[in-house]
Amino acid sequence: MKLLTRLAVVAYLLLFFGFLLGPLIIMSITAFNSSTFPRVVPWECLTFEWFTRLANDTRVIQGLEFTAVIGVFVVVLSLLFGLAGALLLTQIFPRARAAYYTIVTSPILMPGIVIGIATVLFWDRVAHFVGAGRDSVFYHGVFLTVLGQSSFIASYCMLVFISRLQRFDEGQIEAALDLGATHVQAFRKVLLPFLRPAIFSAAVVAFLASFENYNTSVFTLGHFSTFTVVIAQKVRFGLDPSISALSVIIITATLFLALLNEAYSTHAERHPGNPLRSVFRGGVSGFFAGNPAAFLALLMLAGIVATTVYATRYDPTGCKAEVLRRKLEIQERYARPTSPQRATPPAAAPGGQAPTPPRQDGFGGAFNPQNLQVAPAPSPAPAPAPTPPPPRQDGFGGVFNPQNLQIAPAPGAPPKP
Amino acid sequence: MPTKSWLGTFITRNGYLLGGYIILAVLVWILLVIVLPQIAMLDFSFRFDLPPYKQGGPEDVYTLSNYRYFLLGYPGNPDGYNYVDLAVFGRTFIAAIFVTILDLILCYPIAFYLAQVAKGRLARVLGVALIVPYWINEILRAFAFRVIFGASGIINSILIGVGIIDSPIDFVRENVALYAGLTYAYVLLMVFPIYNAIESLDPNQIEAARDMGAPWWRIHWRVVIPFAKPGITSGCTIVFMLAAGALAAPQILGGPSSLWFTQIIYRTFFESVNWSRGAAYAVILLVICTLFVLLMMRIFRVKLGEIGR
Repeated sequence: MKLLTRLAVVAYLLLFFGFLLGPLIIMSITAFNSSTFPRVVPWECLTFEWFTRLANDTRVIQGLEFTAVIGVFVVVLSLLFGLAGALLLTQIFPRARAAYYTIVTSPILMPGIVIGIATVLFWDRVAHFVGAGRDSVFYHGVFLTVLGQSSFIASYCMLVFISRLQRFDEGQIEAALDLGATHVQAFRKVLLPFLRPAIFSAAVVAFLASFENYNTSVFTLGHFSTFTVVIAQKVRFGLDPSISALSVIIITATLFLALLNEAYSTHAERHPGNPLRSVFRGGVSGFFAGNPAAFLALLMLAGIVATTVYATRYDPTGCKAEVLRRKLEIQERYARPTSPQRATPPAAAPGGQAPTPPRQDGFGGAFNPQNLQVAPAPSPAPAPAPTPPPPRQDGFGGVFNPQNLQIAPAPGAPPKP
Repeated sequence: MPTKSWLGTFITRNGYLLGGYIILAVLVWILLVIVLPQIAMLDFSFRFDLPPYKQGGPEDVYTLSNYRYFLLGYPGNPDGYNYVDLAVFGRTFIAAIFVTILDLILCYPIAFYLAQVAKGRLARVLGVALIVPYWINEILRAFAFRVIFGASGIINSILIGVGIIDSPIDFVRENVALYAGLTYAYVLLMVFPIYNAIESLDPNQIEAARDMGAPWWRIHWRVVIPFAKPGITSGCTIVFMLAAGALAAPQILGGPSSLWFTQIIYRTFFESVNWSRGAAYAVILLVICTLFVLLMMRIFRVKLGEIGR
């Protein structure tokens, strides 16, 4: 019976964490598969091209810039609101406390789109009231987004401050005031140092919440886009492994920071005095001894560096040509009975086009309709050379699965010379 | 207590500069960022959708037409009721309840395990494993489920490979992907409040119940769950409100024929460009969901003040 219970617990834990981590692992694997549709099976070739594609996506990069600007403003504003809100909570007269607490925590439960809509409508009214035009600050996407996000992110910050303030001894402030400190001095020298860890964690929480916010921002941004909104548009209008590549980067960074944090806190537990200095004094070996998280972090860093180096040398062209050849064979087998004249050209084309350099990534993206508008970088240039005449291309489209469109027009690869 | 003396003690305690900052910041936050926008939205929802030059003119009067539209559809609608929007709202509402219950069933055991059973390093590793997915963008988590449940996704590939099915199941159309994605998105928000509640439970109480011969399910039913009720309510409230108000996951994972109510609001704003009706729909969503939560709290006898993260 006891064994059965234990087995049940282990099975449940495995299932739960499988559900939690499985999707992320599968998504991460798809970032390295050369298939243009993000999938694990059938596995085609190991590739790093999706990372390159991501780095060249100007909309994502520009979205990141707006995200950073908005994030900084939101952090500052939310910390100011949240700190004031937390300080007032302990001092407001008791009868108003419950109502006050309900009001300042309500934005957490409010649907994000309601906050976004309300913010837009309110500032529209304000603009009407003061007679400001459409180009005024009241319609500016960054301004509205910062205010909309701050409404609930300030509540998060306030909760962080409240939990820290519960352990604060008010007597310390009184003592400082009795000894002749001004209010500002007492705040700066007593309360602020005590709150420092809370300020740090509230800032991290605020930035992360701002970073990943979608529901509010999509209404308030106007014609701007943040990183998250750009990603959402990309995902809605087509699945692309470069989004998996992005996830790999974010997951890796998260894991690495979590390990680093764990390593540092393990170390700090053992060296209570001044943990940071003892890292340098105790030497590197002292830091790693008996600290598996630190060791894992180092291992991970080595893995990242090794992968990056490997990626710069790695060339999947041969493998991709092989996969293409196999696909064409299958295509041919299935297509011949119905429409032989359509299926033969692709098989014949490679022979004629063999001399063209087999740089697949060059025009790999050229035929993907999404990329045409986004990054018309150097890809259109080599594209015309191997492109079959228009009618024949139609044949491609009919025969191939639309998801494979990207690979389809790559007869430049010489499978059968 | 009269306000003036309260303000007086407040200023003597904090000084003018600090006290001024606290009052000013809280006023700006509550008025300009939280309350007045909601009032503006409410006001908009009771007005006609007029072009700018007519606003403030004689036609700019209060009306219930936006709410009437939600119930009855356009004027002279032969169906009698606005079945499309009402059905979408009902479906969203029920689906959000479903997701909440699913999350509760899934998360209660793990919260109990982390709070009372797991110790030391294992507990820490599990904690990190729980938090890491939450750091990944909401959009990317939804994307992961698209990848898994897609027609050529891994689940269909496995099912076909094993031979259970012949042709891929359209999980997206069947909304399986959406429910799984929403459940996944709010796991942490359910685990944390319950964990916080159960952690403060004295293990001796469980021990005592066990010594008295109570089976494990009765220990949970009579000892742990009553103690954790505020945490459970808190988690359920958060998950329900967020699931009902979710926009990204339904947009990415929703089937072509099934809309989420937030998507209707989104379309009213961006495709019909009817801000008044959009505001009315947002008010409907907010008010009905809030009333439902309050009703549930009344039924399960939890006070508002007990909730808190």
